[in-house]
Amino acid sequence: MGFKEIVKRFLGYRGTIATATVVKEGEEERRLSGYRFYLDYLIKDRVAAVALAIITLFTAWSIVEGILQYVGFATRHRALGWALLPSNPIALNFAESLKPPSLSHFPVYIFGTNFSGESILSRLLYAAPKDALAAYLVVFSGIIIGMLVGTFAGYFGGWADEVLMRVTDAFLALPGLVLAIALSVLLGSGYNSVLISLTLIWWPTYARFFRAQALSLKSRGFVEASKLSGQNSIMIILRHIFPNSVDPVIAYAALDFGNVILTYSTLAFLGIGIQPPYPEWGSMSSNGLPYFPQNWWWSIIPGLVIMTVVVCFTLIGDRMQDLIGGRLTY
Amino acid sequence: MSVLEVRDLVVEYSTVYGVLRAINRLSFEVGEAESVGVVGESGSGKSTLGLSVVRLLPPNARYAGGSIILDGQEVTRMSNSEARRIRGTTAFMIFQDPLNSLNPVKKVSTQLLEAVEMRCKKLGETYDVEKATREVVEKIRDVRIPDPELIMERYPHQLSGGQIQRVIIAMALLMRPKLLIADEPTSALDVTIQAQVLKLMNDLKKEYGMSIMLITHDISVAYNISDRIMVMYAGELVELGSADGVIRSPMHPYAKALIASIPRGVMRDAPLEPIRGSPPNMIHPPSGCRFHPRCPFVMDVCRREEPREVHQDGRVVRCYLYG
Amino acid sequence: MQISTLIYLVRRVINAVVTLLLLIFLIFVLVHTIAPTPVALARIYCGSPHCPPAELQVIIQQYGLSLPLPVQFAHYVVNIFHGNFGTDTLYKVPELQVIGELLPITLELVITGLIFAVIIGLFTGSLAAANRNNPVDYTVKAVYLVTWSAPVFLVGFILQLFLAYELKLLPPSGLANPTLGNPSPVTGYPYLSVVPQPLQGWLSGLVRAITSPPLIAAAVDGDWRFFVSGLHHLVLPALAIAITSFGVVTRLTRASMIDALDRDYVKLSFMKGLSKNRVVYGTAFRNAVIPIITLIALLFGFSTAGAVVIEDIFQYHGMGYFTVQAIYNLDYIAILAITIVVGISVIAANLVADLLYGWADPRVRLE
Repeated sequence: MGFKEIVKRFLGYRGTIATATVVKEGEEERRLSGYRFYLDYLIKDRVAAVALAIITLFTAWSIVEGILQYVGFATRHRALGWALLPSNPIALNFAESLKPPSLSHFPVYIFGTNFSGESILSRLLYAAPKDALAAYLVVFSGIIIGMLVGTFAGYFGGWADEVLMRVTDAFLALPGLVLAIALSVLLGSGYNSVLISLTLIWWPTYARFFRAQALSLKSRGFVEASKLSGQNSIMIILRHIFPNSVDPVIAYAALDFGNVILTYSTLAFLGIGIQPPYPEWGSMSSNGLPYFPQNWWWSIIPGLVIMTVVVCFTLIGDRMQDLIGGRLTY
Repeated sequence: MSVLEVRDLVVEYSTVYGVLRAINRLSFEVGEAESVGVVGESGSGKSTLGLSVVRLLPPNARYAGGSIILDGQEVTRMSNSEARRIRGTTAFMIFQDPLNSLNPVKKVSTQLLEAVEMRCKKLGETYDVEKATREVVEKIRDVRIPDPELIMERYPHQLSGGQIQRVIIAMALLMRPKLLIADEPTSALDVTIQAQVLKLMNDLKKEYGMSIMLITHDISVAYNISDRIMVMYAGELVELGSADGVIRSPMHPYAKALIASIPRGVMRDAPLEPIRGSPPNMIHPPSGCRFHPRCPFVMDVCRREEPREVHQDGRVVRCYLYG
Repeated sequence: MQISTLIYLVRRVINAVVTLLLLIFLIFVLVHTIAPTPVALARIYCGSPHCPPAELQVIIQQYGLSLPLPVQFAHYVVNIFHGNFGTDTLYKVPELQVIGELLPITLELVITGLIFAVIIGLFTGSLAAANRNNPVDYTVKAVYLVTWSAPVFLVGFILQLFLAYELKLLPPSGLANPTLGNPSPVTGYPYLSVVPQPLQGWLSGLVRAITSPPLIAAAVDGDWRFFVSGLHHLVLPALAIAITSFGVVTRLTRASMIDALDRDYVKLSFMKGLSKNRVVYGTAFRNAVIPIITLIALLFGFSTAGAVVIEDIFQYHGMGYFTVQAIYNLDYIAILAITIVVGISVIAANLVADLLYGWADPRVRLE
């Protein structure tokens, strides 16, 4: 099979592993397959629907704003970055310094301003794409690296497997934040360093999981059958092992986006990552520390926003884990 | 004077899907030193029956009618503390899975001594550790386990399934119940061990004059040690009679089908006769006789009305074929 | 002690040591990947990003940075086992000394936070299990969802705002009332001479280590004013850490209790006639708690990470505060040292958890 064929096959996988019947009294059986089933379930559960809406909003905004910012920087029209915002997030405006939240000039001052007079709301909106990008990028990279490393180690076993287990053990021995600090600082604390460090820290968990899946799947009937019919290992992995490992991971990944945002913003709080004057949810919180508690909105509101987004991700991930069963963690 | 008398018992569970009537107007008796086999499929309500006699139903279950008279006392309307008193010393229930039946973090001796201690409390005896230890050793010997002292020092995970079941029977003996309820006690064991445990129960029945209510899905196991057999289907009694009678000449179509569906291993070409259809939905059970969708002898009246119990020559049948 | 128990203990210890070596190796590899040449390495060890080339050469000679890699690694490991983490660039004293003074403070905070988290988690988990699918259960679930998702600094700020500044119940910052002098750890030990000579050093070191945390030192000294003040100042930070991490304990306790209550041995306990309380909080709980022990290591990791942020917010001068300073000053040596020390602590916590697990569950130690 050519490479294109392989990719097409893999992409053509529509999550048909998970199917379920949704039966209501008096109605006939409805069979929904794959991800449509998850969506249907989540929307019916009102709390999850709200969470899903918030996440969609967050992601959509991040994409739009992110593109604007990128284009703005590339074409040297940086104002594009705040075209959609209520106010300029990095303009010094000392007349408006340290204003508490108010409804005047809605919605500019709804969260108050910081010492430089910038609207907290605008800064939050401006910083959102960075968090979203970090979350999605780190988790996806982690999954891909973990999938490759873990599946091969689990399937082929031997000393490669031993080495992998030992390495992931060592990684997991350290709390993520501490290692992230060390790596980011060593790499020169900028946004890219943070992304790299986080990816390095995130993949071992997925590697372990995929390894466990590969181990349990490789002795299953359909795999043995493939082997007997002369299929080579790579094809077996692509057609049987990968697709069957993916489902629980997707549910866990939904949770994990939240975890990445938490770690990322904590790093930002400690001064690692995006540097001033550009805003970042975590660093806004720590910048407000000298002015705490009188100007509490500066420190607390970014934290609340982070919490809201993470709650939504965690909720969705949780529901999905319930649906799929086979929780990765508690 | 019967040890257990159940009259028109109704037990219901409230579930997210609705009210589930697990036991529907069941009546039967267990006499002294008599063993009764309760036979049925999964979901027939037989486990619920056992649990309801000792008041161990889960919180979403309730007694919705009828009565259970255990050793002269009415169980369904007792207070919790009274129920606690009669549990164990009047009726003792043992369960199917030996691996989960004993507390994994405590030694066998601790758990057995605790049983003696509780019995002394309930019956007003004084608890003496040495005396209790001797009694425990004696009972372990009674259940045919050699080297009781060795077993006592072990933890449950160090014993085999058969040994654990015997230890639990020993625990039951220590409480001196009038009625032993055994819920699938041998289903998780190897066939040879199964036979040993069943024989043990039979011998103990004779030695101690203890009544046994054996709950099982395997009618041959019931036949092995029961004096009488009761067949349950969908929470109802469908046939009750002497073990020989029910096995040799079953009356109810379900009982007949059950006996016919036992694979006759000896005769190679004997036809396998499964019962057609599947177990009923207990929340919305079939109208009339609950067995009618699967019954080869179904008549019009079966679909409309529930048949009443027919008492005939010491047998009880719930079927329109007989009245 | 039976043979199998001994084997279990030894295996766990060996496992811990191996993981530690691997951790050091990992850090070594990471550092050398980021700074592949001796010059780049020297820049790291230099302490400030702008180091004159002459000084770089001195450092290369001093730390042997141009030696072949395996040799460097060997030196590295030996250094770590001797406690030689280099010299702190800011304070100009051995790194070990700085860590030695600050680590006990943070450990006190982390362990207290951990204990709080376990207590809160066990309590809420049991509550949820006893009230399954009940409004109480849903409330508990909502609570741990929110607290789990809240960033550590938010919890810290909120606690500080409400309990310290608004309600003035507890002090908002600091280790203890600054006017009180700090207690010192026990250095002299009256019965030391009883112990043979080589052991004296280890023993006095151990005693010193145990009595270093401020509260313990104060208690040993009899300095009760400091003890009370220190306790006062410990509550909010420890609570902040506990609040973010108790969620996992709640979750596992709930699941574990529900599972345990379903088991046949619980029914058997009822059969013997034990009261509901004795069965639930004795038998079921005792069995349900066992998996929680495995969480201790995870919780320790969380709490340590949280401590970095919390110490910053509450001006609690321990390792976390030092870490924040090191980040600000780009003190690479300190950061590496901190990373390794934290790694050692987590591995040690893992080992303690393993040993506890072996004690609690006979199935594990008696194979």
